Amino acid sequence: MPTYQEIKTTADERWQRLTAGERPWIRVGTAMCGHAAGAYEVIDALKAELEKRDINAVIDEVGCLGICYAEPLVDILKPSGSRLFFHNLTPEDVPEIIESYLVEDTVPETKVLGYMGDDPIDGVGDMNDIAGINRQLRIALRNAGNIAPNDIYQYISQGGYAGINKALTEMQPDEVIKEVTDSGLRGRGGAAFPTGVKWSFMVRSTGPKYILCNCEEGDPGAYNDKGILESDPHTLLEGLMIAGYATGSSNGIVFIRHGHDGPIDRTQEAINQAYDLGLLGENILGTDFSYDIEVALTGDSYVAGEETALMEAIEGKRAQPRFRPPFPAAFGVWGKPSTINNVKSLAYTPEIISNGAEWFSSIGVNRSTGTAILCLNGNITYPGLYEVPMGLTLGEVVNDIGGGVPNGKELKLLQTGGPLGGVLSSESMDIHLDFDEMRSAGAILGSGGIIVGDEDVCAVDLTRILVAFCQYESCGKCFPCRLGMEHLLEITERIARCESRPGDLDLMRSVGGTMETTSLCGHGQLGFGPIRSAITHFEADFISHIEEGKCPTGSCLGPKHVPKNTRPFATEFVPGGQNG
Amino acid sequence: MVDEITLSIDGQEVKTQPGKMIIEAAMDAGKYIPYLCYYPGMKPYGACRMCVVEVEGERSPPGKPASCTTPVGDGWKVTTDSSELKDLRRGIMELLISEHPHGCLTCHRVELCGPTDLCLRHVSVNDRCLTCPKNERCELKDTVRFMEMEMDTPLTYNNRHLPQAVKDPYWDMDMNLCIVCARCVRACDEVRGDSAITLQSHSGRTIIGTAQGTSLLESGCEFCGACIDVCPTGALVERDYKWDKAVTSITSTCPHCPVGCQMTLEVNKRDKLIRAIPDRHAAANRGQACFKGKFGLDFVNNRNRLNKPLIRREGVLQEATWPEALDFVADKLKTYVGDSYAMLASSRGTNEDNYIAQKFARTVMNTNNVDVSSNTRPELLKPLQEQLGHPSATNSIWELEQASRFLVVSSNMTEEQNVVAVPIKKALTQGTASLIVIDQRETELTRYAKVWLKPRPGSEAALIGGMIRVIFDESIDDHDFLAESCEDFTEFRNAIWGFDLIQVERVTGVPRSEIQAAAREFAASKPAAILYALETLPRAIREECSRALVNLALVTGNVGKKSAGLFPLLTGANDQGSRDVGCAPDFLPGHRNLTSEQGRQRVADAWNAQIPPFRGVGALDITSAINDGKVKALQVIGNNPNFTNGELGDFLEAAKSLDFLVVQDAFSSELTEIADVVLPSQTFAERRGTYTNLERRVQLLRPALGVKGDGEADWRTICQIAQRMGASGFDYTEEDPIFDELNNIVRVYGGLSYGRLEAEGLQWPCLAADMVDTPYLYERTFETRKAKLVNMTLADAEYPMDSQYPLLLAHGRVLHQPDVDMDIVELNNKNSINRQETIKVHPDDARTLGISEGDWIEVVAAGSTIEGAASLTGHQPGIVNVTTLFGELISELEANSSSDPLLHISTLPLTPVKVAKPVAQAAAD
Repeated sequence: MPTYQEIKTTADERWQRLTAGERPWIRVGTAMCGHAAGAYEVIDALKAELEKRDINAVIDEVGCLGICYAEPLVDILKPSGSRLFFHNLTPEDVPEIIESYLVEDTVPETKVLGYMGDDPIDGVGDMNDIAGINRQLRIALRNAGNIAPNDIYQYISQGGYAGINKALTEMQPDEVIKEVTDSGLRGRGGAAFPTGVKWSFMVRSTGPKYILCNCEEGDPGAYNDKGILESDPHTLLEGLMIAGYATGSSNGIVFIRHGHDGPIDRTQEAINQAYDLGLLGENILGTDFSYDIEVALTGDSYVAGEETALMEAIEGKRAQPRFRPPFPAAFGVWGKPSTINNVKSLAYTPEIISNGAEWFSSIGVNRSTGTAILCLNGNITYPGLYEVPMGLTLGEVVNDIGGGVPNGKELKLLQTGGPLGGVLSSESMDIHLDFDEMRSAGAILGSGGIIVGDEDVCAVDLTRILVAFCQYESCGKCFPCRLGMEHLLEITERIARCESRPGDLDLMRSVGGTMETTSLCGHGQLGFGPIRSAITHFEADFISHIEEGKCPTGSCLGPKHVPKNTRPFATEFVPGGQNG
Repeated sequence: MVDEITLSIDGQEVKTQPGKMIIEAAMDAGKYIPYLCYYPGMKPYGACRMCVVEVEGERSPPGKPASCTTPVGDGWKVTTDSSELKDLRRGIMELLISEHPHGCLTCHRVELCGPTDLCLRHVSVNDRCLTCPKNERCELKDTVRFMEMEMDTPLTYNNRHLPQAVKDPYWDMDMNLCIVCARCVRACDEVRGDSAITLQSHSGRTIIGTAQGTSLLESGCEFCGACIDVCPTGALVERDYKWDKAVTSITSTCPHCPVGCQMTLEVNKRDKLIRAIPDRHAAANRGQACFKGKFGLDFVNNRNRLNKPLIRREGVLQEATWPEALDFVADKLKTYVGDSYAMLASSRGTNEDNYIAQKFARTVMNTNNVDVSSNTRPELLKPLQEQLGHPSATNSIWELEQASRFLVVSSNMTEEQNVVAVPIKKALTQGTASLIVIDQRETELTRYAKVWLKPRPGSEAALIGGMIRVIFDESIDDHDFLAESCEDFTEFRNAIWGFDLIQVERVTGVPRSEIQAAAREFAASKPAAILYALETLPRAIREECSRALVNLALVTGNVGKKSAGLFPLLTGANDQGSRDVGCAPDFLPGHRNLTSEQGRQRVADAWNAQIPPFRGVGALDITSAINDGKVKALQVIGNNPNFTNGELGDFLEAAKSLDFLVVQDAFSSELTEIADVVLPSQTFAERRGTYTNLERRVQLLRPALGVKGDGEADWRTICQIAQRMGASGFDYTEEDPIFDELNNIVRVYGGLSYGRLEAEGLQWPCLAADMVDTPYLYERTFETRKAKLVNMTLADAEYPMDSQYPLLLAHGRVLHQPDVDMDIVELNNKNSINRQETIKVHPDDARTLGISEGDWIEVVAAGSTIEGAASLTGHQPGIVNVTTLFGELISELEANSSSDPLLHISTLPLTPVKVAKPVAQAAAD
């Protein structure tokens, strides 16, 4: 097996050929955002056009640069120049661009977004002047959009696998844990538990141990885990290996929701490449450390993202949470000690090891170090996947990066941290991105999804949709969640239809209170959260439905967003539809 | 680790062991915390959240933890009934009630409604108390009542309106009553290891069903009813007598197999046995049962009851009074005193019955022609007595949970002695044990086997010898045990050199590598248990094979240890007890060999009578003895499958030629039809007495039902006849003195009495009233007396063949064959399995017969035919394999309308067959 230096040399040579070789290098964003916007049609058009004109160029599929609103985003790097970005391309635009930029060597007139690199291109703005780029500080996503996720050498040329190499050759496992603890890295899955401390729980136990990486990510409006896996899966693999080395485990399992095809395929390919280069398997990089990583898939279940349900799912059982204690660090998957980390948490660790705890902890504010990876969407001008330092205010994120609410509408609410996270009003724009500050404000940063709602959004309607999601995704194990969510949805629906009964709000509080205290896992415990925060911040919307019998924005009327699966047996299985 | 933990529960100080859950500690202390999903004996689950408590103390969990999933901590202060907790519980219960029909709780007539009142329809028909099969047996209802709820929740009520599942055998499923506590799923999963039912879907749709959503017949269900027994509501119920209410219930012993499951028998006001619920506290079955015990006990209600004594007069059986019939029999029997008389007692006869039966035969009829009709494999016990000391299983059933190796030889245990397989399957699914099966048939346990050997029929003893040879060769025997506890070791070892593996391979047809693998696997870990029924072995080699197995257990040091040992698997419920009390042609009570002068004298003295010294005619020889004219008068107690299934030859035909046939039975049968006198007896459910199960556990039979007609206990009938014949020593008035008398003679029963057995079943030897019983034998025996190794010689396989039927059919049966295509079709509104059988033929045979892969062929035996597609994957020349599904058997059983369908259950012997293409197809070819 080659040494790290040998691999690195090869990688650098290949990178040199790509960037300063003879051929232009065309990169197309094909993460979910690009894919959905039609990137693959653009690639087909590019290939056809290049072939037609007999131009020899390299086309790579890359991940997401963060500015999803500009997808399909294509950039062309001519030998020893800067990258020229084209936004929102269609196959029809392709001939013109190839014609002017690669044949005639002139900057096309339309669809040019900017250049990126040291050499300015005449008549084109610098990409770094775009708010969505310049406010970002990309650590976990450092390579996203820049390298091809299916080429391990591109990752290595950008300093990849240097972290694990450093850990293996220069550090003891406890030093790795100390480094991660000192960095102040907190889990990005929602609970914000210090990652280093979590790892240290595993160290004492002997025998087989597992590091599990959770990429269930079923939250509507969250795509940062998938974004990392699609854009740069190797950074996760490296993070898993570092965690494995630090905790003395021998296996890592990447748990991805069934159906996330892009992340699944790219992670699997990355694993295969890492094995081929000897970066996984026995005696990695010539050391005593051996490590294996595999991909496991969930069924169609949101709760499978709950750590113990995830273990059940990996074991091939129904994805429903276990009770605790015993905790996963003692009794995890297959009864062996296990640690579960979010994709984002692990993706930071290679850079933390490479650059040191001090560097990481200097980013961010208070006890929230590093960056926040945000999925900004909803009624917003520039939706995207942004990695920004902790400590920005929500207002900066929404207005400076996201460009504010479009069409001259007023901002009404923010929905953060996934469907269980709750809503914030427009008055909360001064809250900083800080785990503790967000929590005390009644919202969680959670998975990092921020959905923006404008003045046309009815809080009741939004609540109904959130509750419908939570109800549908209850695993059905514990009684309070299985039954409580049904009733909460039924009552919310009733209110949305302006057919509420007296005392419905109190009834919801009572059911919600029972769920909060007695549910088995976070799903039920937090299931009332969205309703409570909506009632707190937008009581007027509820009062309007309940007392005046009308929806203030009108969005509750009409047939859109009909929640499915409510009181299912009553509506679907009755012969003839009658109700006893 | 501390041994004891003290905590306070609602101010009451409770001492308990670490690792216990709070709810268990509370229950042990007599404190009730409401629960729905928890079930004693199963792993905690934590779904219903009813058992939430508040805990204060060092490292106690925050919030309101569920007490079923929270292990106790020392010094904790637990509150179980604060008003906040009560409110939370009510909150959950209100949610639950919002989807569970609850007219039974809210109907304003609940307090007033009398037993004869008509329902005045204050409650919709789906919700009425009367339409719930578990009305007043419902845990949910009891819990609501305990919680003193107002039942005035503003939550809307929604019935699920799901159709009931009523097309599978034996059970009804009404998912509108289900509270999704998953007890049934867990019982099926963790206790039974079947996983036949599962939770379907998610969120509010979560419901119980089969994984495929179709029928239990194809899902791997063994119809044990464990799911029904744990269901807290009326969602899963037994179909028969579904709505009947029990007025009395009593725990008794199941008469269907030698496990001796303790069943609580529920009886309705019309004195019908309506339900059988396995007793959770019983040592023999620990709350488990099988399809026979759970659904097969209501045969006692059959109308086909014999109510009066019958005497054949002018060729017709006519009713008579008891005195008439008894006088008639006594008169007749006087002329057959001696060896022309024989007695076949019942395997369902109690120890008392069978003791009296053999005492009668020996002292009054002056013959040793006495046996139980199920005693077809006495060879299983003989080597145990000769080599170890006692003719019985050495260990207890539930010790098997902790065994680490199992060797199962030719036994369809999951059907015949079902509950014995429960701890085995549990140990295997937990991964703490491995299994070796020697059987030509594919049975449920072969699906769990690590090594499955399929020797040539009749070569099983050679195969075991080969295994012992490997164990010696590789020095993986238990040297210390052999040296200290066994005699004749060197000689035995020399004899084993005769088992050259090349020769063993030739004789058995099993490759050497597999024999080695099996031997290594078996010897690799202790404790190892050997369970054998030898059903597929020819009679001639059963004894040799049993001896080989005892040798194997000794060689590996698996005798005299917990969870190890040997288990001969008999079939009759009281086969062990019958042997103990001397109901056998060659043994006297207390396992005294008839040929032993001293033993014979001891019994004769106790009886104050003479005992003939010659071996009598037993069940296996009875047919030929009748045909030879040696036996002219026969007294038979009880029906037995062996009368018709060929185990005893053509017994029924022979019985017709008897001079005099007396049958004591509760139901009319083929045998009562040809009897000269029929004397009505009682079923197990009306009886008092004792059974001894296969683990030597003596257990009580308690009368659940009242007397039916003129039915009489068999011992009483025999005593009456004896007294009419002028014999003394038969003047018993009830069971207790009989038991006391036999305890004096059967030394290992010495310490047992009805009084002690009333509390729990005890395992002999229990020599004195102040001594404990013996869960496993020979713990210290070999310190004073050594175990015997008996030399073995390698012999060629021998299996008696029939020239007309040149092949042997090894018919197997399993619970689940996910790899075989099948449909569930409805026949007469019942689910049934529709599939094509695969007949495995060895390629050599196929070549001879001109059969190629996929051909449609038929397997013809005397009296039956199986058709199917040929698959040339047979493992031994001369053997044809067919594996059917247990679901098919269950469908057949349910459709069977005879008085006791279980007597007609088709066992799986090796059957001589011929294989051919069906005539029509052969012509077409």
